[in-house]
Amino acid sequence: MSYAVEMRGITNYFPSSGVLANKAVDLRIGKAEIHAVIGENGAGKTTLMNSLYGLREPDSGEILVDGSPVRIPNPEAAIGLGVGMVHQHFKLVPSFTVTENICLGVESSRLGFLSPAAELESVGELMEKYGLGVDPKTPVRELSVGMRQRVEILKALKRKAKVLLLDEPTAVLTPQETASLFEVLRKLAAEGCSVVLITHKLPEVLAVAETVTVMRRGEVVGRRPVAGATIPELARMMVGREVVFSVERGAARPGETELLVRDLVVAGSGGAPAVLGVNLRVRRGEIVGIAGVNGNGQSELVEAITGLRPAELGRIELGGTDVTSEPVRSRRRAGGAHIPEDRMTTGLDMQASLEENAIVASYSGKALSRFGFLRRRPIRDFAQGIIDDYAVASASPEGGVSTLSGGNMQKIVLGRELSGAPRFILANQPTRGLDVGSIEFVHRALVAARDRGAAVLLVSVELDEIRALCDRILVMYGGRIVGELSEAEASDEKLGILMLGGKL
Amino acid sequence: MGDVFTLDLARATIRLATPILLPALAGMLSDRAGVLNLALEGMMLLGAFLSIVAAFWLKSTYLGVLVGMASGGLLGAFFFYLYKRYKVDLVVLAIALNLFIQEMTVFALRTLFGNVGSWSDPSIRQLPELRLPLIADVPVVGPLLSGYNAIVYFSWLAVVAFHLVLFRTRFGRHLRAVGESQAAAEAVGIDVSRVKLFALVMGGALAALGGAFLSVGHLTSFTRNISNGRGWIGLSAALFGFDYPVGVFLASMVFGGADALAIKLQATTQIPSSLVQFFPNVFTILALVLVALRIRGGEYFARLGFRRRLSAETAAEAKRGSGRESGR
Amino acid sequence: MKRSAVWKDRLLTSVLAVVAGLVVSGAYIALTGKDPFKAYFELFKAGFGFESLTRNGLFQTFQLSTSLILTGLAAVVAMKSGIFSIGQEGQYLMGATVAAWLGSSVHLPYVIHPAAVIACSMAAGAIYSFIPGWLKVKLGVNEIITSFLMNNMAVLLMTYIVNFPLRADKGSTAHSAIVDETAQLPVFFQGSKWGAGFILALAAVAIIHIYLKRTAPGYALRISGEALPFASYGGIRSARAVLCGMLISGALAGLAGAIEILGVYRRIMQGFSTGVGFDGLMVAILAKNSPIAVVVVAIFFAGIRLGAQIGLQASMSIPRELGGGIIATIILFVAAESLFLGFIETGRLKWRKALGVEGGRGE
Repeated sequence: MSYAVEMRGITNYFPSSGVLANKAVDLRIGKAEIHAVIGENGAGKTTLMNSLYGLREPDSGEILVDGSPVRIPNPEAAIGLGVGMVHQHFKLVPSFTVTENICLGVESSRLGFLSPAAELESVGELMEKYGLGVDPKTPVRELSVGMRQRVEILKALKRKAKVLLLDEPTAVLTPQETASLFEVLRKLAAEGCSVVLITHKLPEVLAVAETVTVMRRGEVVGRRPVAGATIPELARMMVGREVVFSVERGAARPGETELLVRDLVVAGSGGAPAVLGVNLRVRRGEIVGIAGVNGNGQSELVEAITGLRPAELGRIELGGTDVTSEPVRSRRRAGGAHIPEDRMTTGLDMQASLEENAIVASYSGKALSRFGFLRRRPIRDFAQGIIDDYAVASASPEGGVSTLSGGNMQKIVLGRELSGAPRFILANQPTRGLDVGSIEFVHRALVAARDRGAAVLLVSVELDEIRALCDRILVMYGGRIVGELSEAEASDEKLGILMLGGKL
Repeated sequence: MGDVFTLDLARATIRLATPILLPALAGMLSDRAGVLNLALEGMMLLGAFLSIVAAFWLKSTYLGVLVGMASGGLLGAFFFYLYKRYKVDLVVLAIALNLFIQEMTVFALRTLFGNVGSWSDPSIRQLPELRLPLIADVPVVGPLLSGYNAIVYFSWLAVVAFHLVLFRTRFGRHLRAVGESQAAAEAVGIDVSRVKLFALVMGGALAALGGAFLSVGHLTSFTRNISNGRGWIGLSAALFGFDYPVGVFLASMVFGGADALAIKLQATTQIPSSLVQFFPNVFTILALVLVALRIRGGEYFARLGFRRRLSAETAAEAKRGSGRESGR
Repeated sequence: MKRSAVWKDRLLTSVLAVVAGLVVSGAYIALTGKDPFKAYFELFKAGFGFESLTRNGLFQTFQLSTSLILTGLAAVVAMKSGIFSIGQEGQYLMGATVAAWLGSSVHLPYVIHPAAVIACSMAAGAIYSFIPGWLKVKLGVNEIITSFLMNNMAVLLMTYIVNFPLRADKGSTAHSAIVDETAQLPVFFQGSKWGAGFILALAAVAIIHIYLKRTAPGYALRISGEALPFASYGGIRSARAVLCGMLISGALAGLAGAIEILGVYRRIMQGFSTGVGFDGLMVAILAKNSPIAVVVVAIFFAGIRLGAQIGLQASMSIPRELGGGIIATIILFVAAESLFLGFIETGRLKWRKALGVEGGRGE
């Protein structure tokens, strides 16, 4: 049987981070098939697709298109072989019309001159053939997200794609737009295109795909027809693993509510919806976790709570005070601390010294400045205190931070945020990219903070971390909280189902 | 005031607008290709200097102008090379080049021709004024359009040519794509470097041509800093014209017209030239503010639209009874 | 501009850039048929030489550097706030115009008069700098173009004011009335123009240095200009900090204008200022945004210009524009700094290998 695309034994290793993204992966996409490739963050799906689309040549393994072995060194080669990609972040020129965007790069021209009429016609034909209607003369910047995605698909089709790769296409769509997209995908398959759908949303897989390949930690753990599959089964395949982390943790003794979020609605970039009515509560002395695959509104939720993004509707209270429209400074004064997911651009100033990094939130307070002047001794002592208490290796207050390891950088962030005994701590992917020792350190610090009475909200894509640390676990999917489980109730399977769009 | 707005004024406007239009077109190209070119002033000066010197040595003004243009193009290529290969900061590079050319053209002048602040030579013939055969005889329009030198007509042709190239050719579309959304252009395989190189080389040639106009187009002499900021004004005119060739043309006319009007008013009335020349600057700032407001406004309306869609959706949701409170 | 990680490397690249610039410029001199070494000797003697208290280039260089120190400082503050403003020229002119106006039309006693005039000039410069800053921070309008346009407008405004409202001459070049004696800044030596303004400039450098490094608002300014997401995350009110920076920047340039009027020219005239503001920007670039380095660079800059004028042009008939050419060449090498950093890195590696430190052969 000849497949549209076959990938055999694909291995991709990233030496700079030591990550084995793909380990001897086999993938077989049938002709005119809608094939879903599912897995959590870090499963290796994107890297695999990058190899198929020519963005990265695999370290080993082979790729066959239509039965013949091929090399795909760049996207042009992929397009030449009929492989098209619809990226998650659209690559369209905002002021150009739909037609112009679709034809960009493949215009037919007479002596260099364009023929707009011919372009319009060919685009019209394409739209009709595949049932993808968009007003061809509108500038792309006026289109909704769903329509823009159609333009991206049409772009690939114009280049005669026979295999279409879609990377998390529904992440930015409303439910109606998602349904429309599925119609389009079915039509495409009917016309002979193969569609590879990369997603973590299981209900969608069941709705539209014929075959599903499940990936986990760089390997393929299963491949089966969608007919007859159930969400729990797929979820189990995706998330099941031995617990790696264990943290010593006494029982929580929750007290008063510290953070209260009511009916919060937050817009994402470009007006797309991100957080759609979230209610949650974190009490002093407990660690609440928000589990979920990246891209379901967690970032926007975090930004809204910390004051880096405005809330459209709803209420946020810290320690009883309404902070919904307060700036970051007020929220910090109300006892809030934030460990950001990106320590190098948000959490630290890579060009500044360690002590300059340490005082960003507290420099104007009485302890560190007097009559507008920074008090050098207290600042130095404060920075040295962090270095000592958190055992930051090879660091000094006047020294820089750019030469430190990831773990040590995070220690500085932690030291800064946890100093001043904050009443509420929001930790967003606090152990991303860290080595095992540093991960343990961060975990212990968070538990210690909890035991001292702080309310901790942990947002993470790592289920192990969530389960190891949290007293209560919320799951976020599609901008909403879709479930809440206590520590005892939560199992990988249940959490997986919720994270991937299923219902318990 | 009827005799203020005369044919003379119009002709003066066109003449004064030309050395603004040419660097403006250069700036427009750079903006459209997404590469920052702040060295327009230097390119103009280089063109002015080399054109007159080459005209003197080669005993032909036209050849001199061509040499000037070529030097501008080469400078643009050099600019690109440093940027691409050594990743130099374009802004600092431009500042250095501007200063260097400004000073060293006078240095060369003094070294070659003796210690003079400005230089001229009777053997250099200014570019001849061309009479357009049929158009010149048309009443009203004729005297307005005929009788300028080749550079002026070239600049008009350039406006038309760029309009066609930018909006009707494949290359032009690719160029616009690179400037507006480099990621999109790269994703479809457009050679971004080639586009930027073109913008810098062509831009350099145009700016240099503008400089040539100053030194051999009307009077034939070269003085220190003969361009007097026109490279920068050209950049402003490009922005004021929203990077459209026709808009750039009109914006240059506004600046040129203000200059012409200022001179005329100063001669005939008490109104000082400085006041009249004030306004194009203000207009440009206002234009920039308008563009920025439009962008901000766009974001604001996107959020507004989002809120409206949302209230409709949440109303529907509320009816269906979803949304769970967590934490008891 | 980024803060370089290693202080010593930064200094090394600057020195290398200067050396390279001087060497290449020596080539220009050689091309004109003159001896580069003699030329440089004359240049430095004229610009920095000291023969006697009344006959030396050094003092004149100090005086010429005064306005450069301040406009350079102004550019440094603006760039530290993250705003690439080239508006120092316009702010300088506004300060000078206000100084010429208030210096002659208002009459106050000694000390109070210049103090008041200077304060007003600084305010004028500050306001003038605020506008492009505000447009950038609140609306995202390109500050290079707006500050350039503001410069134009300042020149035009000044030309108008000198020719009409403030005109006080009967000759061909318009100039304003001479400012009151009470407003004039004292000079150090009879006949020289070097005076109290220099002290003010140095004081400004000290104040700004302390402000940026040691005060809370200075810290907020630096961090906002350097790492905006970090600043916002930490709760710093960045917009406020940046706009404050712009006010300070404008005030410094305005101060430069006031000093030139009150201390040197004593009135303002047509054609005043030949790019001092822009020179300040170049000083700031060469000084890598360090206030202390601005003093050294400004003096160097002024000395080269003076030396080129007197030493090269007058005694060797080499056109004085070479001074500017040298500076431009040095800046060119500064722009290509990454080149040098690359050389230093590879040089260091080779050095280490030669010494046997790398590769585990050392003890």
